[in-house]
Amino acid sequence: MKKKHSPLWKRLTYMKPKETYSDNHSQLLEGNREWENVYRRRWQHDKVIRSTHGVNCTGSCSWNIYVKDGIVTWEGQQLDYPTTGPDMPEFEPRGCPRGASFSWYIYSPLRVKYPYIRKKLLLLWREALENHSNALEAWASIIEDSEKANLYKRARGKGGLIRAEWDEVTKLVAASSLYTIKKYGPDRNVGFSPIPAMSMISHAAGSRFMSLMGGPMLSFYDWYADLPPASPQIWGDQTDVPESSDWFNSSYIMTWGSNVPLTRTPDAHFLVEARYKGTKVVSVSPDYAESTKFADDWMSVKQGTDGAVAMAMGHVILNEFYHQNMQPYFESYAKQYTDFPFVVRLKKGKGHYVADRFLHAKDLGIESENSEWKPSMFNKATNTFAIPQGTMGSRWDDKGKWNLHLVDEFTEEAIDPTISFLGQEDEIATVNMPYFDAETRNILHRAVPVKEVAIDGEKTYVATVYDLMLANYGIDRGIGGESAKSYDDDTPFTPAWQEKITGVKRELVTKIAREFAQNAVDTNGRSMIIVGAGINHWYNSDTIYRAVVNLVIMVGAQGVNGGGWAHYVGQEKLRPTEGWTNVATAKDWHGPAKLMNGTSFFYFATGQWRYEEIPVSSLTAATVDKPRYEHYGDYNVLAARLGWLPAYPTFDRNGIDVYKEAIANGCETTEEIGNYVAKQLKERKLKFAIEDPDAPESFPRNLFVWRANLISSSGKGHEYFLKHLLGTTHGLLNTDEDSLRPEEITWRDETPEGKLDLLINLDFRMAGTALYSDVILPAATWYEKHDLSSTDMHPFVHPFNPAIASPWESKSDWDIFKELAKGISNLAKELKMEPVKEVVATPLLHDTPQEMAQPFGEIKDWSKGECEPIPGRTMPQIHVVEYDYKEIYSKLTALGPNIGSKPYGTKGINWEMKEEYEKVKHTIGTVQNESVADGCPDITSARDACEAVLMLSSTTNGKVAVKAWKALEEKTNLKLTDLAEEREEECFTFDQITAQPKTVITSPAFSGSEKGGRRYSPFTTNIERMIPFRTITGRQSYFLDHEMMHEFGESMATFKPILDHTPFKADRPKVEGKEIVLNYLTPHNKWSIHSMYFDSQPMLTLFRGGPTIWLNKDDAAEIDVEDNEWIECFNRNGVVVARAVVSHRIPRSVAFMHHAQDRHIHVPGTKLTQNRGGTHNSPTRIHVKPTHMIGGYAQLSYGFNYYGTTGNQRDLNVIIRKLGEVDWLEN
Amino acid sequence: MNLIDLLLWGIFPYIVLTIFIGGHIYRYQRDQFGWSTKSSEFLDKKSIRIGSQLFHWGILIVFGGHFLGLIVPVELYNSLGISQHTYHTVALVFGIPAGIAAFVGLILLYYRRLTVKRVKATSSKGDWAVLFFLLIVIGSGLSATFANIDAHEFDYRTTIAPWLRGLFVFQVQPELMTGVPVWFKFHITAFYGIAVVWPFTRLVHVFSLPLRYMRRNYVVYRSRTRKA
Repeated sequence: MKKKHSPLWKRLTYMKPKETYSDNHSQLLEGNREWENVYRRRWQHDKVIRSTHGVNCTGSCSWNIYVKDGIVTWEGQQLDYPTTGPDMPEFEPRGCPRGASFSWYIYSPLRVKYPYIRKKLLLLWREALENHSNALEAWASIIEDSEKANLYKRARGKGGLIRAEWDEVTKLVAASSLYTIKKYGPDRNVGFSPIPAMSMISHAAGSRFMSLMGGPMLSFYDWYADLPPASPQIWGDQTDVPESSDWFNSSYIMTWGSNVPLTRTPDAHFLVEARYKGTKVVSVSPDYAESTKFADDWMSVKQGTDGAVAMAMGHVILNEFYHQNMQPYFESYAKQYTDFPFVVRLKKGKGHYVADRFLHAKDLGIESENSEWKPSMFNKATNTFAIPQGTMGSRWDDKGKWNLHLVDEFTEEAIDPTISFLGQEDEIATVNMPYFDAETRNILHRAVPVKEVAIDGEKTYVATVYDLMLANYGIDRGIGGESAKSYDDDTPFTPAWQEKITGVKRELVTKIAREFAQNAVDTNGRSMIIVGAGINHWYNSDTIYRAVVNLVIMVGAQGVNGGGWAHYVGQEKLRPTEGWTNVATAKDWHGPAKLMNGTSFFYFATGQWRYEEIPVSSLTAATVDKPRYEHYGDYNVLAARLGWLPAYPTFDRNGIDVYKEAIANGCETTEEIGNYVAKQLKERKLKFAIEDPDAPESFPRNLFVWRANLISSSGKGHEYFLKHLLGTTHGLLNTDEDSLRPEEITWRDETPEGKLDLLINLDFRMAGTALYSDVILPAATWYEKHDLSSTDMHPFVHPFNPAIASPWESKSDWDIFKELAKGISNLAKELKMEPVKEVVATPLLHDTPQEMAQPFGEIKDWSKGECEPIPGRTMPQIHVVEYDYKEIYSKLTALGPNIGSKPYGTKGINWEMKEEYEKVKHTIGTVQNESVADGCPDITSARDACEAVLMLSSTTNGKVAVKAWKALEEKTNLKLTDLAEEREEECFTFDQITAQPKTVITSPAFSGSEKGGRRYSPFTTNIERMIPFRTITGRQSYFLDHEMMHEFGESMATFKPILDHTPFKADRPKVEGKEIVLNYLTPHNKWSIHSMYFDSQPMLTLFRGGPTIWLNKDDAAEIDVEDNEWIECFNRNGVVVARAVVSHRIPRSVAFMHHAQDRHIHVPGTKLTQNRGGTHNSPTRIHVKPTHMIGGYAQLSYGFNYYGTTGNQRDLNVIIRKLGEVDWLEN
Repeated sequence: MNLIDLLLWGIFPYIVLTIFIGGHIYRYQRDQFGWSTKSSEFLDKKSIRIGSQLFHWGILIVFGGHFLGLIVPVELYNSLGISQHTYHTVALVFGIPAGIAAFVGLILLYYRRLTVKRVKATSSKGDWAVLFFLLIVIGSGLSATFANIDAHEFDYRTTIAPWLRGLFVFQVQPELMTGVPVWFKFHITAFYGIAVVWPFTRLVHVFSLPLRYMRRNYVVYRSRTRKA
């Protein structure tokens, strides 16, 4: 046995002779050396596992997580990415300081360790349970008594949370959910969780739960204003972008409103490496952003006017590289892949012509299926109009004609498209084109060469899109009209014209435009624009984006490696898409799921629609007489009515009751029920809930929020959320007394406050949302669960693995929703609830034949008698869905039989999956419990769910990929399977991706190819393999012919100024001291990802340790504010108090408050509200744009997170002044 | 001489000494990491500066004075020809300022511990006990000194000093203490108190002066741990 000496004994060595060496310079030191083990163990760990961070930074970096003595000690970058190939820089190192500090959270004071509930609510609940025979009645006794309900609703956000037992809270949530389903309808329980790709199984857990319950899921991409509507408008694709390594393939990169090193930190090295190779980098940014440091040229543009720069660059490119000297590469690209050669009808407008819509096969008298959806071009070879293959009509008549070969669909003759009628025109027509700037909205009279066609015996003029575009951009073609004589001519859209709007020198714009195009000429399209949130969060960001994206299409850069657009704003490509979609929408059991566009939901639910001030007529085109409506909400009602946008809650009564009524009226089939609903709607016996959004039967009741920080981080119009949705103390300084009144919506003078009965939040952080929630459930962190993550920045699928078991009482999202489902099932069994059927309405969906519902882009409103209401054509599709609440848990934890028995697919193609479904059963095992799920694959554990998703997706299972390509081959009559054949035998397993990242398999779910180790670039399969774009022409769109696009003057790219919003109308608070009005922007933070990491101590130490607002030094001097002083920043939407950061980096007239600076510390009060000074979203609110509501029309049809109103919040001004007294409100 | 005198001056000293020595050994063996001054300087730097300096320098001089007065025998002074008067004057000239410095320093430190939020929040019972006893000990010591300023009737070098030295050689002479003025008695008794809590508080840092460092060679090696 080892003898252990006592410390004192070891210390007493005075008598022992000292061993010395080197002339007494050194000695031997006696004593204990155990302390050295600390250093020896420094790099010893219990285990090291691979995981990643499920935060919506788009990073999806692979990390090693180190565990020591059962504690997560730190994380380090993984360094084993597969190579990018010869002559290419590698992916690693990936990971940034934010991710490297994550482990702080696990043991931080912010961690939610137990289920929490507001004490006032819990006491009410316990008392009610004692006094009532069942939980439903107990809940009714609380919620139907406004005094009791207000007791806890008004306490939201004010603490008073206590620990609760899991069983108790799940029962409460189940009671509230089932009560709502019975009383108001299943669509009054709503779920919100963003960006599935960042942790897709955790997202799917709740989404699956909501779908099985019949509750709608809210979209986030559009709500976050990260969705660029220009992408669906131009390509019919949500967003598809190159992986970051493809930047290296470019030889000319513009970073436009994108701050690469700050927001794309792990990928920024590719931009540096590209520069070393010789790539030129141009920065377009109002401030001296970090990305500007990378730039050879800086276009310092006035914020929000980027569209003007892009229009002027387009002017130069069209003039020099098309009109004056047509580049062969550009011309052939334009003819084959864009709608330039397509022919547009003109109609009489105000004194002159205006562009109307495409000339379709039907107009030409060609008899054919879908002839209203087959636009034409002029064939030079035959001197006649021809219908090319690849149009939307050919997509859905399934005759194998849907491809981009320039062949006449009917005659099968080769087409040599006429791009311009100039020289063979019948006439030069003056065409009115709308123009907008900060001062005026007027008409430009442009000259266009036109051809004459007889349609139904009537003389009609037509023009090519190319000719219209040249006219629109103001190119002088020597045919008269208002056009630019030179670049110094101050007419739209010349470089001189933009200079007075943007402040960028005309010479610089001209130079960059020339370089950008010439580079594309020299490299066949390797010119790239990295676009970002800086130009994407504006009201009119879609017009900015269209002007910018037009540049890459004009120079043939799209669909080329190293070229095209690159938009990395909150999107994150969900790679294993089909498997995930099935799990997340519970399609394996029944369908359809209710998927709702988030912005419209919040617009009505938070009452923001009540405060509209800018009439629509001040935004529409001068070419139209007047807009359809003056109030934006009216457009949303129209959109719901015509099946354009989803609308949940749908009807003014319970969908279950509507079903019962239909049956009582003798309806049997779904079709009959649909017709019954249509009739009821027409007779106004049934109404849409959003026609009266403030009626108690119309608004949502329970909101589940997970993986999100909705309140205070993404909740634009924060104070409106507090007032209307939550009914608690708020700082709203606005009133709706003199706001615009809608036509289609019932106005109630009494507005409901505290609409939500329960706000349920799953999180591991006590963040803003949790603080305002009624029930908080402790979620596992990213180092405590199994999950999957993917991104558009790289082509890998990363696993999450638990480094430690979930500590305290936390559980993974997957397991929490299992608990909630169990609560529902148990309560339903207790109440002996029979299965119910509900009438469900869904919008006309993109990538289904429904996108051909409403031809010619004409708006026909059945409620105005313009047509009949026909489900799935002129109004939403009507379905009947059965829900069995007793079986929610069984269904949640098993993969239902529909996968093997129903058509399976994505993006309008489908195939069968029987074989794969069987294989899943044998791989992960089946349920054996004689429930409804007996014999189905068992996904009780999240890990098995991951495995199933990998096996059921075309990007991760080679066999499925080949099936998918075969399905697309049938549709297109092209040869495509070779794109995946070389990897047909591969099927990703969870173990494999845990061992090392694997590049996904090329699949038609996306538009690029990874074949043979190629770097991913979007639309390369469209360009190289002739797969059509999913648009009306099948080509990339410069021209959008929907009536509403004309109404807003956006049929072609144009410039639109930012909205003119004053901080206050009347009734502004008293002026105190010096004040300044600035445009209020909320860009990304350098020291956090949204609210995540902001409150972590390592990050807080890096900058000021609390909320800040950046100001220009001269603006600050004007109001006597010095660096680090407290300031008040406010407008009628609310107040935020923060410290000033005074910097020369920020241009004048702008204030930056990095968004989502969580307010756990440094929150003094403000006299303006007598409350703590808000969040970064307090001075914001959303403005919905009617063109985002268009539906039922080709690429402008609804898709979840694909199209819909954006929650933009930049067109706002605030007053900033020094905070008089810093009052911490501490007593 | 009564029983109380015997207890106070004959028995208590040995109990106190046992706890003092035994306590230190115990603490050293069991609480290596806790052997510390428990510095609160990083919680608050400003308010500690003057108080700590005054107290520490003051107490060091006071300690030196006690050594010269109590351990060094009066015979040595006599043999050197230093008169009672000279000794006493020198002792007072150095002792009173040092004592006042230590006392004022202590008051400042006490005040700091009471008013600085973070220091107060992190104070243990031991920290309060140390302050309390130091206050009593120094207060009573100063009082005794002032009460004995003319020193006509009483010389501690012939009473307290031989009594104290006797304790260490086990010649217990409690009778020497019977005539000592009450302030001195109080001072000594108070010291018993501090000596008892001493090993269990931050006062152990008194014995942590890195003296061995002074005679250490420039370069040190350590041998491999020998396997048993």
